[in-house]
Amino acid sequence: MNGPLLWFLNRGTGIVLLVVMTISVVLGVLSARARAGRGTPGFVRSLVHRNVALLAVSMLVVHVTSAVVDTYVDIRWWDALVPWGGLYQPVWLGLGALALDLLAAVTITSLLRTRLPHAAWRLVHWAGYLAWGIAVVHGIGIGTDADAQWSVALTVACVAAVVLAVGVRVTGTVRKAIRA
Amino acid sequence: MAPSRLRVDWPSCHGRGLCHELLPELISLDEWGFPIVTGEVPPALGPAARRAVAGCPRLALRLVES
Amino acid sequence: MSFSVAEGPRLLAHLDEGPGLDRHRLANAAPGVVPLERLASAAEAADLRGRGGAGFPFAVKLRTAARRGAVVVVNLSEGEPASHKDEALAMLRPHLILDGAALAARALGTRRVHLVLPGDRPHVSERIHEAVAERRTGERLQWRTHVADEGFVSGQARAVIELMSGRANRPVTAWAPEAVSGFHGRPTLLSNAETYAQLCSIWSQGPDPATMLVTRHSETGATTVLEVELGAPWSAVLSPDELRRPVLVGGYHGVWVPAGALADRRVAAEDLAELGARLGAGVVMPLPAGVCPVDRTARIVSYLAAQSAGRCGPCRNGLPALAHAVDQVRRGIDNGERVQELCGLVSGRGACAHPDGTARLVRSLLRWFGDELHLHQRQECGHGALAPTG
Repeated sequence: MNGPLLWFLNRGTGIVLLVVMTISVVLGVLSARARAGRGTPGFVRSLVHRNVALLAVSMLVVHVTSAVVDTYVDIRWWDALVPWGGLYQPVWLGLGALALDLLAAVTITSLLRTRLPHAAWRLVHWAGYLAWGIAVVHGIGIGTDADAQWSVALTVACVAAVVLAVGVRVTGTVRKAIRA
Repeated sequence: MAPSRLRVDWPSCHGRGLCHELLPELISLDEWGFPIVTGEVPPALGPAARRAVAGCPRLALRLVES
Repeated sequence: MSFSVAEGPRLLAHLDEGPGLDRHRLANAAPGVVPLERLASAAEAADLRGRGGAGFPFAVKLRTAARRGAVVVVNLSEGEPASHKDEALAMLRPHLILDGAALAARALGTRRVHLVLPGDRPHVSERIHEAVAERRTGERLQWRTHVADEGFVSGQARAVIELMSGRANRPVTAWAPEAVSGFHGRPTLLSNAETYAQLCSIWSQGPDPATMLVTRHSETGATTVLEVELGAPWSAVLSPDELRRPVLVGGYHGVWVPAGALADRRVAAEDLAELGARLGAGVVMPLPAGVCPVDRTARIVSYLAAQSAGRCGPCRNGLPALAHAVDQVRRGIDNGERVQELCGLVSGRGACAHPDGTARLVRSLLRWFGDELHLHQRQECGHGALAPTG
């Protein structure tokens, strides 16, 4: 199959994925600090984070499928899973595959969270940061619109959001530790 | 007999309070944010108790045999 | 040693003969392989209870642990700073402890015994290592030693198992008793050093007379470890003056009994139960003349709060709050309501019984010393002690 529709679908989902993943990460970072009784209940934050993440996963499926199905560029289905050996922009594509693999690990362990030892789940969940970061780099490298002003602004905003959220979390932890 | 008592794994509990949000009938919070669990779970609250157990971000709440 | 040891009828007999294995073997045959049920029955007939503080029936523990892969652990860590009985046994009668452990190990079909030694009493470690070395020849048992951290809760059962597993020597939640599932999930017989010594003595010399070791802190400042027959009158332990005072029975996790309460009572669980007290690990501290019980309790609670492992929210937060509240009571600022509230908040909400034991002590203060507390509220004290505890 060919045609601009698939290409737009791939590019569009790619950009929106960046935003959705960023929101998911920010929600995850901030909800880990919250105490009960203040503002949105903890279980609501938790569910929103989870649902946004699952939204990202479903968009990722569309993003990958549209790239594989499109015959304009030679991306085979296994290029989406294996980070090397790609034919089209192998480095940037490989990073995308790596981000997908990490996200898959996070997703699967999270769906099975209550059946796993908490420590194991937590360790894998840290890879979420990594998945997000690698996805950002993948977007910058492979993105057709990467040079456009709006694209750069969007990427900067997403990175800033995560850095800010992490900063808030870390200073909160430091403050708590100092008080203790 | 089906597990029907709630127990807290205290070293894991960080006092986030989601259990109280999900099961206020049986779980209240002390002044430091940690759960006060009235152990026995009546059958009617079984599903809610299971949701509270699944909802703990630290998996610090368990349903055990009485 | 900072304490003295008195000669006793069973465990503390023939102290002048020294701790060596040869001397020990003259009176105690080397433990052979004993069928588990015979050993358990002997312990049951003697009503042997754990001497680590909880007083759990040893025969029950032994039978519960009697499954494949059982592990034997001797707890010599003696985390209670006021207790010296295990130290005394280790220094003077180590082979009683080791024989008892060997008996249990053979009955359970295991070749390895774990010894948990006190990190803050290195002479005990030394003596035990010497004693183990003496046994190397002939005995086909492997003795594995572990050194517990200094600290009150380091000797708690699960904390000990954590230590043995290579993790921090602090309590974790027990989802089953350790005799059911303990070290690496295996049935674990974890008992106090004196319990094993009693087991050995019961096995080789029969159940009577039943005794226990007591660490007595006299008001003269002298600390003595003595062996008391269960059922003996308290006058066998305390002087007439001391019997007229309030006494802290059971150590820092024990309780106060009021002045004169022990005078007509015996060293027995039932007699103490009437007063809401238990023998525990056998620490007995009569309140010296001129010392205020409120002040003394406030200091102990302050110490116990600092000894929290810090793992469980209610204990980590509640014990310091309780220490502060008790101090407020000492200063006459608080009427005890806050203290009661906190006792309720910390009890039963932790991985171990450290907060519960502390709350029990505090409750006994409120129970028996109402008069003293009223004095403090009027900014008076019968013992002239209203300075801050620090």
